[in-house]
Formats: sequence, structure tokens, C-alpha cells
Amino acid sequence: MIHKFQERISGAALAAVFGVAMSSGALAADIVVGGIYPLTGPVAYDGATKHNGAKLAVEEVNASGGVLGGKFVLKVEDGACNPAQSVSAAEKLITQTKVVAILGAFCSSSSGAVMEVAKKYKIPHMTGVSTSQDLTRQGNPWFFRATGTSALLGQAFGPTIVKAGAKRVAFLVVNDDWGRAVASSYAKSIKAAGAKVVATEIFSRDDTDLFPYITKIKTRNPDVVISASNTQLAANVTKQLRQLGVKSTLMGEGAFTSEAYRKLVGKLALGVVGLVEYIPSIDSAKNKAFVKKYKSRFKEEPSKFSAAGYHAVHILAAAIKRAGSTNSEKLRQALLRTDYAGLTGNFKFAANGQAYNFNVFMAKNVAGGLQVVGVGTIPKP
Amino acid sequence: MLEALPQIFFNGVLVGASYALIAMGLTVIFGLMNIANFAHGQFYMMGGFLAFYLTTELSLNFFLALPAAVAIVVAFGILLDRTVFKRLRGKPLISSVLVTIGLAILLENLALVLWGPRPAAIPNPLSPDPVQIGPIFTTEPRLFAVGVTVVVIALVHTLLHHTRTGKAMRATFQQQEAAALSGINIDRLYSLAFGVGAGLAALGGVLLGAIFYVNPSMGGVATLKAFIVTILGGMGSFVGAIVGGLLLGLAESFGTLWSSAYKDAIGFVLVILILLYRPDGLFRKV
Repeated sequence: MIHKFQERISGAALAAVFGVAMSSGALAADIVVGGIYPLTGPVAYDGATKHNGAKLAVEEVNASGGVLGGKFVLKVEDGACNPAQSVSAAEKLITQTKVVAILGAFCSSSSGAVMEVAKKYKIPHMTGVSTSQDLTRQGNPWFFRATGTSALLGQAFGPTIVKAGAKRVAFLVVNDDWGRAVASSYAKSIKAAGAKVVATEIFSRDDTDLFPYITKIKTRNPDVVISASNTQLAANVTKQLRQLGVKSTLMGEGAFTSEAYRKLVGKLALGVVGLVEYIPSIDSAKNKAFVKKYKSRFKEEPSKFSAAGYHAVHILAAAIKRAGSTNSEKLRQALLRTDYAGLTGNFKFAANGQAYNFNVFMAKNVAGGLQVVGVGTIPKP
Repeated sequence: MLEALPQIFFNGVLVGASYALIAMGLTVIFGLMNIANFAHGQFYMMGGFLAFYLTTELSLNFFLALPAAVAIVVAFGILLDRTVFKRLRGKPLISSVLVTIGLAILLENLALVLWGPRPAAIPNPLSPDPVQIGPIFTTEPRLFAVGVTVVVIALVHTLLHHTRTGKAMRATFQQQEAAALSGINIDRLYSLAFGVGAGLAALGGVLLGAIFYVNPSMGGVATLKAFIVTILGGMGSFVGAIVGGLLLGLAESFGTLWSSAYKDAIGFVLVILILLYRPDGLFRKV
């Protein structure tokens, strides 16, 4: 009786294993790339838009012939903006799914953790979103960052912010590598440009009630409050700042110009300035085409994360083509020779993997859309 | 800085009131029924999401959705007790720990499946615009939350001390066997107590969901704070839950004067200090 049962179980198990292997979808000629995005957790909404941008790019790559004669396949895992979970995802993608490169993991702390895994296995790893400066300072030759850092953005924007009239600046940022990086790098360039930093308040991502922090900021009378937060927290910051009667201009890195943000905060968005690397209203033929395609596919405007996900996939696909193989070292060298015409300018990589040469924008929320009130170009680091 | 003290105080009262509400529920469940309810934060989350569902999908008025959501969670709590926790009575604490951790995971992921990871603000007719009372800035939803909490505390007190059911509850929690011998239906009482405990947490979720937003992962932090306040106030003591909640809320708020990044730590340090001198918490059982 028991033997028969065991036979049936092992037979079923064998069938199941085959079934799973067959259904994983990737054929021998496909180029499989791993993507680690936060699909759940506090930045899930933004993670989904990044994923959407990537999906669009993958479709474009395959529509124009794929890579090296095969399909470009993006295998996605949920990093949830959590370093431990992102590391598990990376291990799984590299060791089990056998990807040739990793894209992700959105939050700087998570990308920092993932880049160690990529280094261990000598696989190229690119992020289009993480801005913490530390990531390109670790001498990790496998890491590429297709976006600015808060330091570079701070260098680009600091003087512009002060020129626009800011004299007393306060920071209200999330307690993670990104938030702290914004607070420190913008503070440096703002002070160098002659203004004062009067408060630096750091809140935890789980904090829903920001009144304690804002109360403190209010006592210092800033004329500009700079924040670093993604959609969900950005809406919270905006609403609560006004609920406590703070009249300062609000500027922010993160999601202060996205459609979702404007929907969440309504008329409170007017006058808020986003310090962004991308807005849908950028006036170029390439961007207009991208926005149209994205809108018809996903029924909303692309966010900066959509553009980031989109850029990263295209840069990687171009590099694979340039390398002529999926060999890790060749791919790494090919990435360093990138000169990709993206939606915001031409992306090049410096020796430490940091992208430069593209544009960034100060975008003010006005009735009916966004108005660019300042432009900078990311300098070579 | 001194001119901000009234605001800081009021901030602390609001946070403290929400802590008190959740802890009141847990103090019954943990302190009196001896169930280490790690899913308590999920009842809080459920209350919030049910209210969101009722107001958005079924277009129910917020002031009706609030008691409706709470009632649903109370019923759910009673059902849970009848089916699950009844079997755990008398079993070691670890059983309830395991069961409720599993329950927490189940409920959180159920919410993720049903509503997705996006946070949702519960639409309500209260205005989010700033309301200024003297030197204090607040909003209608916040005032409403504090008001409702005060009323509920009074109601719970009345239930416990001025009704027969309340008397039966207190008797059961003090001396279960004697209570059973005097004809009190222990099982029904425990179920009711669990339901009420869950309902209090759910109420917190609705009130806070109307001020801020609800999202499926909001339960974890709530459970943590609930346990801390329950232990601080004294397990099984309503007064303790209220005082402990306010104390923690005020400590966190005033802690920002020193360092806002460490405000949570300051609260916890205070709890540790108090427990060093009063290991059983501030107050004794009901």
C-alpha cells in the first residue's frame, strides 16, 4: 500500500518538475536578463511604473529583431525595496534563472546589497533609479548607474535653487541611503551658493504621522522645504506640511511631479517643484513617441521611473549587441562604451559606472501640467 | 522652540490616543485571554480596508461605514474565537503565537490580493484643510479621531462596569472556574471579548485611514506598538492601555525636541525604564 503511494508521489513529482521546466518559457537562443523591482511594499506603485517602462522597452527591442538573433527576455522578481529580499531575488536570478545581467533594485539600499551579489558572480548590474552616491564609490566594476546621484543632482540644482531666491532651506527626507544622501549633498551645494540650512528632519518610511517632524521644521521658518520621498510618502509630506500651516515652497526629488501624485494631493500640488530627471512633457520627438506608446499601453502617463526602466533595458540591449556575446566581461566593456540617445539626452558612462551627459529638470506643478523652470546637465563625475 | 510646545503636546495626544485604542483591544486579548495575538495589527488594517471598500465600492457614507467596518471585524473576531482560539484555551502561549503569526501573514496577503499594494485614503466628508485652534494646527479628521477615541473609552468603561455582561467579563477574567460555576457561559464571553478586542483595533484602523491612508503592510508596526503599550500599561488593564498609549505617544512627540530621527527609540527607552521599575506594567489587571 505504502509503496504504491510512494510510487505515485514520485511519479507526480517527476511530472511536476518537468512541467515547471517546460513552462519556464525561455528557449536556448533567448537572452535572459533579470529585473528586481519593488512590486510590493511602500514603493510598490512606483516600482510598477518602472516595470512598465522596462516592459515597453523589451517589446521595442524584440520588435526590432531582438538581440544576437534571439529574444530579449526580462525575468522579474520582487525586491520590495528591501535589501534582504532583493539579495534573495538576485541570488535566484543569477544562480537558478541564469541571467546574463541584472537590472534593479530601485531603492539605493537594496541596489547596494544586490551589487555585492553581482560582484560575487561577476555579472553586470545596472540601476536606472538608485541615486545614493556610495554605490559608485565602492570600486565595483560590475555596477552601472543609468541615472544621476543626489550629489550630481545637488551640484546641478543647488545653485539654481538659491538663484531662484531660497535663503533658508529645510530638509524633510526619508530615513534611508537616498533621503540622507539628498539631505547631505544638496545641503553642501546650497551652503556653497550662499543660503542657510535651518533644519534637517529625517522620518522613517513607516511613519504615517509626520506632524512631529514638521512641527520642528516650522519653528525654524524656512522659505524652502526640500524633500526626498516617493509617491505615497510625497503625498503625505505635501498634505501634512500644509495641514500644519507651513507656507514654504516645497521642492523634492522623487515623485513630486507624477500624475499619481497630482491626483493624490489635488490643488496642493500647485507650486510644488520637482527635481527630476524626466517629465512626460519633455519636448522631443523621441519622448513624444514614448509617451504616446506608454499611454496607450498602460492608460496613464509615464513616470520618471518608467523612463528609467525604459532606458536601462535599451542601454543593456544595445550593450549586448555591441559586445556581440553575453560573456560577462565583454558585456561589461561594452557597457562602458555606451553612448545611448535616450529620452533626456545622450547617456555615457564614466569609468566608475556613473552615467553622465544627460539633462535634468526643475519642473514646477502648474494648472494643467508641469512647467520647466530650470535645466541642468549632469557633469562628468 | 517653546512656542511649539502646545503643538507638540497635541501631536502626542493624537498619536497616543491611537496607540491607546489598539492597545485596549490587545490588552483584552493578550492580557485577559492569554492569546499572544500577533495578528492584532491586521485587525486594525482590516478595519481600515473594510471602511475603504464600503465607502468606495458600496458608496456608503463614511459615518455609516465606520461602525459597519468595526461590526464586521467584531463578527470576524467572534467567529475566529469560536473556531480557532477556543481550541487553544489552556494550551501554552506558543500555540497562539504560531497561530496568530500565520493568521497575520494570511490576512496581510489577502489584503494584498484584494486591494493591491497601493495605499488608499478612506474618503470622508471631513475636510483635510488645516484647522487652527490657538497655536495648534490640526485637521478635522484628527479631531474626529480623538473625539471618537474618548467616546469609545467611555463606552468601554460603561460596558465593563455598568452592565451585566461587563460584570460577567470581569468575573471570568479574574477567576474563570468560579465564573463558570456561577453559570456564566465562558465560551460566549471569551468570544465576545475577542470580538470587542478586534473591533477596537479595527476602529483605530478606520480613524487613522481617514486621516492618512491604509495599506496592507500597515499591520506590522501597529502590532508592535500595541504589544509595547499593552505591556507598559499592564497586561489586562484598560486604564493601563490608555495611560500607556498616551505616555508613549507623548514621549515620541516630545522626543522629537531632542532628535526626531530617534523618536521611536526614545519611546522605547522610556518603556524599558518604566518596566525596570515596574515589571508588571503601570497598572494591574482590570
